[in-house]
Amino acid sequence: MLALFFILFAGMAVGCAIAVVAQRNPLYSAISLIGVFISLACLYVMLAAPFIAAVQVIVYAGAIMVLVVFVIMLLNVEQQDHRRSRLGFLVPTAVVLAGVLIAEVAFILSTVSTDRSPTTSASDTGLTASIGSALFTKYLLPFEITSILLLMAIVGAMTLARRGGLLSASTRVVPGAQLLPLSIVNANASFEDPTAIETDTTDEAARLLGVENLRDPAKRE
Amino acid sequence: MDWQLILDIVLKFVAITVVFVVVLLVVAYTVLAERRVLGLIQGRLGPNRVGYGGILQPFADLLKFILKEDIVPDKSTRFIYFLAPVIATMAALMTMIVYPFGPDTTIPFINKTIPLVVARFDVALLYVLGITSIGVYGIALAGWSSNNKYSLMGGLRSSAQMISYELALGLSLIGVILVSGTLDLGQIVDQQSRWYGTGWYVLFQPLGFILYLIAAIAETNRVPFDLPEAETELVAGFHTEYSAMKFALFFLAEYINMFTVSMLATTLFFGGWNVPFAEALLGKGSILYGLVSAIGFLVKIFLFLFLYIWLRATLPRFRFDQLMSFGWKFLLPAAILNIFLTATAIYFFV
Repeated sequence: MLALFFILFAGMAVGCAIAVVAQRNPLYSAISLIGVFISLACLYVMLAAPFIAAVQVIVYAGAIMVLVVFVIMLLNVEQQDHRRSRLGFLVPTAVVLAGVLIAEVAFILSTVSTDRSPTTSASDTGLTASIGSALFTKYLLPFEITSILLLMAIVGAMTLARRGGLLSASTRVVPGAQLLPLSIVNANASFEDPTAIETDTTDEAARLLGVENLRDPAKRE
Repeated sequence: MDWQLILDIVLKFVAITVVFVVVLLVVAYTVLAERRVLGLIQGRLGPNRVGYGGILQPFADLLKFILKEDIVPDKSTRFIYFLAPVIATMAALMTMIVYPFGPDTTIPFINKTIPLVVARFDVALLYVLGITSIGVYGIALAGWSSNNKYSLMGGLRSSAQMISYELALGLSLIGVILVSGTLDLGQIVDQQSRWYGTGWYVLFQPLGFILYLIAAIAETNRVPFDLPEAETELVAGFHTEYSAMKFALFFLAEYINMFTVSMLATTLFFGGWNVPFAEALLGKGSILYGLVSAIGFLVKIFLFLFLYIWLRATLPRFRFDQLMSFGWKFLLPAAILNIFLTATAIYFFV
């Protein structure tokens, strides 16, 4: 019975993984990747790790892939042409890496004893309480370091996104009447205030936004 | 296979069927109730012609949906266009299995004590949150695959809204998890049966409950947060191009989501199936006690569903930037504050 379910989910995972690379349409690839994550979650459940399975679905299938799908939808990525030349040196690299993978699998199969009984649902190592207590006692330092890393990533993303304001040196505002909400011009204005300001030129917009020094005056005619 | 295992499997199938049928019936009659109650509030009648007081209206609607022509837009991405309503409905239905709708009950004739829940496991609450987050795909993909600007805008708005409010939703539940010390919904309900079945967690988590309620209404795309289908701007939002049964599936998913969200609110904050004093009066494990508890559970859910309809008749719609700044700048910090207060209280007083 368990073997049957394993074959089902493992087959789904492998099939979806092949579809990720085989599909031309990037959105189909993304959906296949979601399939991979969900089948992996099912496998985690079978390995008596329900918490990992739930987190797998919430974080990977639910959050990260939503952003990926979002980006594909917004950018409207074109279907990939089937051009082999673009892959270049990646083809031999892939062959070598596949060889390494097969060697690893062979090594594991030959050395690790297979008579060890598999984890059963009676084990409580995968339960939320045991994972939580392990994270906050035995592995507290790695846990804290990881959270600081994540915090740094968030702060880094914010800084990168905010640098240079809305107009960078390479942006050109089309001359004419631009309507900007007050909240963009004045950071203190509340978000609810829809008052618009009007500008006629790029320079005026840049001056109002306080980013005129970003535009190189020497290059301007 | 031995006899007991077969009995277990049969009972599980019976439980799944019962839950499925009850959910579909409740959804059908929520739609009718919504139209009648809206009529009542707005001083008109609502559908009252099919059957006594409109009681057969849901079936007439269903028949209409089945018989309508199923239109597929020419330039749509065919496969995803078909997949999207399936994902939406499936994700909505999948969370049903973890909610306990009654205490352990002894079934007469076969003389076997069963828990009135389809599946009980350690991470039930995380499972609910995970499946809810999968539901976003149904709407996002529907909007994209229709190849229509209104659909796309509706789909994008809806995904942005659901991603934003999912955080507040999850964080508002942490308070209950801190108090109860478990993610198992069955245990959470059992803990609330103290004080003769009135030890509901809303007494300990009033702020958490209010935050959850707001986030849940936004998560189900209902008024006043129904931006994804703002008719005045987007025709009908992500399901503009959907017709017949595929539209009905989205409709179904929305109402099932309302139902699940109400179920979660009842389970976590309002004692689940606990009816005050029922256990003392009717006796533990009796079939009558099980029945009364299940009915009590449904009544609590209906009160939440009524609240949804009431809100729809009362409140105007938010603007999209208001929605976003409300979610991120008020709801999320408030949920974190709730976690902080709860943790502090537990540290000092428990």
